[in-house]
Amino acid sequence: MPYTYTTDLAAVRAIVQRYAREAGLPDNRTIDLVLAVSEVAANTVRHAKSPGSLKIWFDADEIICQIQDEGIIHDPLVGRRRPPVDAMGGHGLWIVHQVCDEVEMSSDEAGTTIRLHMKLPGRA
Amino acid sequence: MTPVPLVSGLWYNKCVDLLTVSVAARESAGEPYTLVELSGEADVTNTEELRRLLDSEVAAQPRMLIIDLSGLRFMDSSALHALLRVNRSLDRQGGVLALVSPQAAVAKILRLTTADRLIPVFDSVADAAAG
Repeated sequence: MPYTYTTDLAAVRAIVQRYAREAGLPDNRTIDLVLAVSEVAANTVRHAKSPGSLKIWFDADEIICQIQDEGIIHDPLVGRRRPPVDAMGGHGLWIVHQVCDEVEMSSDEAGTTIRLHMKLPGRA
Repeated sequence: MTPVPLVSGLWYNKCVDLLTVSVAARESAGEPYTLVELSGEADVTNTEELRRLLDSEVAAQPRMLIIDLSGLRFMDSSALHALLRVNRSLDRQGGVLALVSPQAAVAKILRLTTADRLIPVFDSVADAAAG
C-alpha cells in the first residue's frame, strides 16, 4: 500500500527512516535518503495540486523509494547541474542526485514518478 | 507605568508546527548579539514562517546574529535558502551571521551545498559570540 501525503513531510521522513533502518542502510546513508525523499516530496507540496504517494521496498541489494505526484517536470536534466551556493532555489533536486546511488525520473501529462535507489551494504 | 524590561531584553517563542524558534538578545564582552535557537524540523511547510521570523530579526540590524542549530533534527533546501537569505541581508547591512552545532543531517546539507563555506559554523554559542 502506498503512503499518501499532502503536507505532512515529517511523517514521510519518519517512514523512510524506519524502512531504511529495517533494510540495514547505514546511518549516514539513511540521512541522505531521508533528505532526498523529503526534497522530492517538498516539490509535491510546492508544485503539485494534489497529494503525492510514496512506496518503499527493498531486497538484499538495495532500497528503493518511489515518489509519485501529479506535478509535471519539463526539464529532464533538472537537478543535474549544480546551482550556485547562494541561488535562492533549485538546490532540491540537485541534492537528490548528489546523495542517491541512482535516480530514475519520468514525467508526462499524467504526472511525475521519481525512484531513488540506495545500495545496501553486502551481507556476508 | 513603565513596563518592566525582560531579563533577556527580547525574547519570544514561536512554534511553527514541528519547528520551534526562540529569540533572545544576549551580550558577549559588552557586544550585543541576537541568538536564535531552532529546534525540531525545518522544511518547505514551515519555511515561510521561519523566513518571516528571521526577517524581523534582520530588520533590527544586529551586528551579529547567531543561529543555534543544535536542537534541529532536519533542514531541507528551502529552510537552507532562508538562512542564506539572512546571510546575504546581514552582509549587506554590515552584520555577521554564524551557525552553531548542526546535527548530522543538518551538517550534511550545509556541507553538500557548501553553505558551510559561506556561513561560519561554530561548536558552541560562546565560540560564535567570540568570533
